[in-house]
Amino acid sequence: MSDTESPEGWVPAIGHGVTLEEVVERAFDYRGNVTVVKADGTRLEGYVFNRNRDVEVPFIQVFDRAGAGPLDIPYADIRTILFTGKDTAAGNSYAAWLRAKEASQQRLGTPLPPGA
Amino acid sequence: MSVPLSQMWAVASYVIRQRLAGRTRYPLVLMLEPLFRCNLACAGCGKIQYPAQILKKHLTVEQCLGAVDECGAPVVSIPGGEPLMYPEIGRLVSELVARKKYVYLCTNALLLKERLTAGVFEPSKYLSFSIHMDGLRAEHDEAVCREGVYDDAVEAIREALRRGFRVTTNTTLFEGANPLRTREFFDAMMDLGVEGMMISPGYSYAKAPDQEHFLRRQRANELFSRILADPKRRWKFNQSPLFLQFLMGTRDFECTPWGNPTYNIFGWQRPCYLLQEGYAATFKELLETTRWERYGKKSGNEKCRDCMVHCGYEPTAVNHTFASWRGFRDTVTATVTGRL
Repeated sequence: MSDTESPEGWVPAIGHGVTLEEVVERAFDYRGNVTVVKADGTRLEGYVFNRNRDVEVPFIQVFDRAGAGPLDIPYADIRTILFTGKDTAAGNSYAAWLRAKEASQQRLGTPLPPGA
Repeated sequence: MSVPLSQMWAVASYVIRQRLAGRTRYPLVLMLEPLFRCNLACAGCGKIQYPAQILKKHLTVEQCLGAVDECGAPVVSIPGGEPLMYPEIGRLVSELVARKKYVYLCTNALLLKERLTAGVFEPSKYLSFSIHMDGLRAEHDEAVCREGVYDDAVEAIREALRRGFRVTTNTTLFEGANPLRTREFFDAMMDLGVEGMMISPGYSYAKAPDQEHFLRRQRANELFSRILADPKRRWKFNQSPLFLQFLMGTRDFECTPWGNPTYNIFGWQRPCYLLQEGYAATFKELLETTRWERYGKKSGNEKCRDCMVHCGYEPTAVNHTFASWRGFRDTVTATVTGRL
């Protein structure tokens, strides 16, 4: 998976070409809910808004699906993270916005700067 | 310049106190985001894309005041989200005014007239409505993706001014902005009677990444040079003239990412208002554990390379004013003469 592609729907298997740290980073960057699968098999659905690797016990922080939290989960307790929720940032890229803006400017007759 | 003398003095004395105390990192403006909810969905905005349970959340007034006290900045800017959707905005502003904080309530103004009529706010020298206006009618309505918003905002500005409130505007300029239209926009805002205007280049949020079309530094300098060339005496800017010179490329600054710290439902945002690289539980933790050397133009961080946004560079401009007699002289000269 490329860095620019939305991970929506991704079901990563830790150790198979991807590390837990990489998956956590993608989950932290993801603007949708995820499902954290814990080492004991339990699951927590919610939004990962923070992670900290620079401490003795690295952890992620989550607001669950009902908005409760923050809930701290140590990295060591995470089996994997599934990208189960809708990516709320998808389809709202600057490129998409600029394309719409350029089209609108052409309609209004406003000249675009060179190279735009 | 349009910043009232009492506000200038409050900021100046604060900066001098920090410098005398030997502090190298101190905040000037707290960016307080009580909620992410908004009644507009501007396509270029990277602030409101969250799952429903996050958009439903908001800080309590007590959490907000705790952050204000912890941070200590003399100015509090309340962006969002749309702060007029915050259920306790009246009480929050009233508490901040009681603490003699200069408050900039950043709003798209769609709810302003209704809130003013309901008596939610009292006029105060400490409170200024900072109305989001990205240009004249065509440009603004296009930027916010809804027809009629410009007219609603103008009506709300008139109503706020009629009721004796301080009103400023904040304008973000992106690639393709037309300098002549922007100058006409400045005239229109001055005709309305706003106290001052704030301008800044846009930032390409991580959630809206397209470096190809980013308003790069040289292009930004060219654009702002054309917009601000031979500025009219009647134009009033509610920001440091040194920052405007920086935008025009006649002055070089480095970013001060801790100058406008951001607090929201996630905590203290690292490292700045624009980048979300994690959260600290306390302001002290933010200052002490953020790897500041990783940010700013000099760091080589590609996310910072072309950024010229006010939240990082306006604090630098203010600090520069008080760092030397030359900085002070340059600020006074530009303020008095109106020349940039």
